[in-house]
Amino acid sequence: MVNDDADVVARVLAGDGEAFGILIRRYEPGLLRFATRMLGNPDAAADAVAESFVRAYRHLAQCRDPSRLRSWLYRITGNRCRSHLARRHTNDIPLSEAPAPALAEASDTWEVIERSEQVALVERALAALPAEKREAFVLKHVEGMSYEEMAAVTGARIPTLKMRVHRAREALLEALEEVVR
Amino acid sequence: MSPIDPRLQEALDGERDAGELPADLREACARLISAAELLQTTPRLSVATHVMTEIRQIPAPVQSHGPLHRMIRWFGRPRAVTVRLRPAWTLALAAGLAALLLLPSQQGSIPTPRASEGIANFVGHFPGARSVEVVGSFNNWSRGSLHLNDDDHDGIWHVAAILPAGPHEYMFVVDGERWVPDPLAGRYVDDGFGAGQENSVLFVRPAAAQP
Repeated sequence: MVNDDADVVARVLAGDGEAFGILIRRYEPGLLRFATRMLGNPDAAADAVAESFVRAYRHLAQCRDPSRLRSWLYRITGNRCRSHLARRHTNDIPLSEAPAPALAEASDTWEVIERSEQVALVERALAALPAEKREAFVLKHVEGMSYEEMAAVTGARIPTLKMRVHRAREALLEALEEVVR
Repeated sequence: MSPIDPRLQEALDGERDAGELPADLREACARLISAAELLQTTPRLSVATHVMTEIRQIPAPVQSHGPLHRMIRWFGRPRAVTVRLRPAWTLALAAGLAALLLLPSQQGSIPTPRASEGIANFVGHFPGARSVEVVGSFNNWSRGSLHLNDDDHDGIWHVAAILPAGPHEYMFVVDGERWVPDPLAGRYVDDGFGAGQENSVLFVRPAAAQP
């Protein structure tokens, strides 16, 4: 693969700081999606991802295996999300009660509006999960990671991650059924 | 929250064909998969411009310098040796360090650290290692700038360096690929990247405070 992660990291470490933009373009969509699902708020997610990229840049020489950069970036972003969640002030609106983002606009078609409502509904169900289960479900089913890669991202053992994903599925299914009723 | 049928979990983990499930489980499986697909919507955001603007204002991360540059720096850098207290098993090591301590003084070539600097002595026991180096906050975690030596091949690797006084986080890199904390470090701190890994911490005393 041309410009694989290890090559780009080597370029950055050799002094070509602009090459870091390749990594941002490559991983920004996934990291923003992950952080948004974790924090339930696109603005907070953008802050967490921006902080993560800057932190990754500063510590790029510490990336012990540049060929597994994706896992490393998700790990940093996961840590930033946990910090954001921990810092959430007690008088903040809890994640599970936060209003759904206004996704639909006047010019949208009925299908778009319906899909937006479905997304908001699933987001609310996801937001009701504890952070660890939410993270496990998102990494597995939204980001499509294997349990091995999830272990590299979270530092948790594979049986633990499987249990979290299983519990998250149970809770989500129940929440979605409640809504359908 | 009620547990769901293990067959559904297996199907969602890719360990079972979802088509083999009973109709009610197939429906539940489809519901979860479609929920996950809805969550795959990527937010219409970008932080790229903001991040690139910010990183242009901070020093570029640096991996390592070439051999010629390292040699020039080696000749140009003041060197001295001191002893950090180690457990009893390192008696032989202590003797070696004492020799190292005495040798430069006999030659009259001990460089003098500035008042804001001190002498750090990195020692590790890595039998069978082909190379050991130390990376840390003092060299921007760059490999190739501070190698330990094991001239008598007894598995005890050593290097001394003059560093700014104060705390420094560091790790050993063994054989160019294995990052290990110093098992004899006085302190450890979380490396900040999760996974429970820790950096070793060394506190360098200013030269003025050293006996």
